[in-house]
Amino acid sequence: MSGTLNSFVVANPNQCIGCKVCEIVCFAVHNKNNQVAMSVGTIAAPVIPRLYLVRGETFTMPIQCRHCEDAPCANSCRIGAIKQEDKRIVIDENDCIGCKTCLLACPFGAIDLLPQFKDGEAVIQANLKEESEFGLEEKVKTIAYKCDLCQDHGEPACVTACPQQALTLVIPAEEKKRRNRQAAVNLLSALN
Amino acid sequence: MSNSIPEIENADLLLIFGYNGADSHPIVARRIIKAKEKGAKIIVVDPRITESVRIADLWLPLKGGTNMALVNACGNVLINEALYHKEYVGKYVEGLEDYKTAVAKYTPEYAEAITGVKADDIRKAMRDYAGAKNAMILYGMGVCQFSQAVDVVRGLASLVLLTGNLGRANVGIGPVRGQNNVQGTCDMGTLPDVFPGYQAVTDAKARRKFEKAWGVKLSGRIGYKLTEIPHLVLQEDKVKAYYIMGEDPVQSDPNAGEVREVLDKMELVIVQDIFMNKTALHADVILPATSWGEHEGVYSSADRGFQRFKKAVEPKGDCKPDWQIICEIATAMGYEMKYEDTEEIWDEMRGLCPSFAGASYKRLDELGSIQWPCPTEEHTGTPYLYEGNKFSTPNGKGQLFACDWRPPLERVDEEFPLSLSTVREVGHYSVRTMTGNCRALQQLADEPGYVQLSVEDAEELHIRDQELISISSRRGSVMARALVTERVKKGATYMTYQWWIGACNELTSDHVDPITKTPEFKYCAVKVERIKDQAGAEQHVRDEYAKLRKQMGVNV
Repeated sequence: MSGTLNSFVVANPNQCIGCKVCEIVCFAVHNKNNQVAMSVGTIAAPVIPRLYLVRGETFTMPIQCRHCEDAPCANSCRIGAIKQEDKRIVIDENDCIGCKTCLLACPFGAIDLLPQFKDGEAVIQANLKEESEFGLEEKVKTIAYKCDLCQDHGEPACVTACPQQALTLVIPAEEKKRRNRQAAVNLLSALN
Repeated sequence: MSNSIPEIENADLLLIFGYNGADSHPIVARRIIKAKEKGAKIIVVDPRITESVRIADLWLPLKGGTNMALVNACGNVLINEALYHKEYVGKYVEGLEDYKTAVAKYTPEYAEAITGVKADDIRKAMRDYAGAKNAMILYGMGVCQFSQAVDVVRGLASLVLLTGNLGRANVGIGPVRGQNNVQGTCDMGTLPDVFPGYQAVTDAKARRKFEKAWGVKLSGRIGYKLTEIPHLVLQEDKVKAYYIMGEDPVQSDPNAGEVREVLDKMELVIVQDIFMNKTALHADVILPATSWGEHEGVYSSADRGFQRFKKAVEPKGDCKPDWQIICEIATAMGYEMKYEDTEEIWDEMRGLCPSFAGASYKRLDELGSIQWPCPTEEHTGTPYLYEGNKFSTPNGKGQLFACDWRPPLERVDEEFPLSLSTVREVGHYSVRTMTGNCRALQQLADEPGYVQLSVEDAEELHIRDQELISISSRRGSVMARALVTERVKKGATYMTYQWWIGACNELTSDHVDPITKTPEFKYCAVKVERIKDQAGAEQHVRDEYAKLRKQMGVNV
């Protein structure tokens, strides 16, 4: 039943030039409440993208969540903070306790744990304090971040922003149908 | 560029030599990918794996500093395998016999021993290049920033002449020039030997024309080049004052220690810029200027295209457009200079430069962009040069050139066993005066910056990726983060030049090309050392960065 499968974004490494526009726009659309208004040049919070440009000897491309059907991150989450929601896998950032199990469970490395920000300010832990030379100090809350397919934004911002059109939102049911039709065309031309 | 940037997409073969489009000009890199998608063959000459190498059909991984040996070997193959375009060369080119003699000893095998590029790959590259219907060469700073630079440019141009890849669309040779409007500054005569429009200062007729227009006496002597200034100040005591506009030589010129010494010795240093930078720390007077979004003007792109740009926002604070500052300084010094707007300046310039004469504001608005030469307002510009294969030489013929390879002027040795080349990265522009003040870009790649080094060297030196390391040359030492990558070959290191802490120009040598006096930014000898106390090093970087920011009043 491909009609119920989760969508995901994937990059074509042959088109990517490694410009990181996807990282910046990802950060921008997810931080509207962190003073990213007119320009990302004026932000106060650190840039936290939910996809990661990787470079190696033979590849350059952003890597992001595949929204697995049997999501290892969700299966491993001790407190049920990772859920299936409307054809996507999402993390409830307020429930997350920063245990890092999901980071280890994800086969793509699509989850990162970083400080939480609200209204341009770091969110402080309720009770846990950090020992320092000046005594006990407040500790910033760290939570898990990953691609949520821009659930509050509409279509994935990275797909529309990429100057190379290297990123695609894959809707498995449509992709399958397209390939079926293409296969039919190919068979037909082989016969004729 | 002999041809236009959009034509890159339509070439059948791209020979990319010492040019990393994805990091220097992402917009041009898109054209390279489109060319590939349309079926073009891509050959890349680069010691490092770049985005273009990744999609290349053939990669010639030469050792840094061996360009001329490789270019000569290319010429050797074209001659010895009779791949060159005999009819074209017979009609439009001169110097073939001398050229043959000069490249005779540069067989692919001879070049392999110098460059490390396989002889058969050189042969294959030239067979493909000569066999392509329309082939284009793109080159960048990997050609120009060596002590043997002009020779290599002329050598590459000879390959173009030998194969007849000129005088029509989708071919030619393109120096894809560094920064935005670097072409424009040359067009407007900010070179020591020409007036605007490339009219020689030594040409008495041109001089009289400018003297008449400006009502002053002009010198017919060629001025000093930027990299000659340190010697003229420190050894000869000849230059006393420096007026620096939109440039940060402490960050961008080689051997930063010497540049600081020069600035401190000068009687007067004026810096005109939009933000504080390292050079401004040595200035006697700072003149705050408006940024590109706050004023209007015309840019020239690398392919000779003039484009107008307009003011987007009103400037804030105590600053003025550069042209107004210049007018006020000139007037205060006794030469009354007054213009109503930039169009009046542009029209005066057009009137004095025959090859720009037709590019009026009106025509620029109508056409979007105009590539010079554009002699009249009816003319729509020149997308490619040398129509009819007439060249700008006395007899109109293209001149072949080859000469012996010279190694870089500094060599690696036991004390400094690695080579250092300075490169670019996509998130920061030039010396970071602008992008370092943009928080998002600053965070994507922040101080102290990186040293790219090979997996093998990192292993030998017990250096881990992202660790702070020390890198030193005969001129200085800086701290930066190790970026261990498979893209770099053993023995070579790379740094981008905009970092304040990991400032690679503290290390670079002041050797220059004998003609252009362009520094050898692409080759000097260094050593890399592991730092045991990582926590202490991190603290040192934070302290140094905070100190610099405080000195400059930066709060971004």
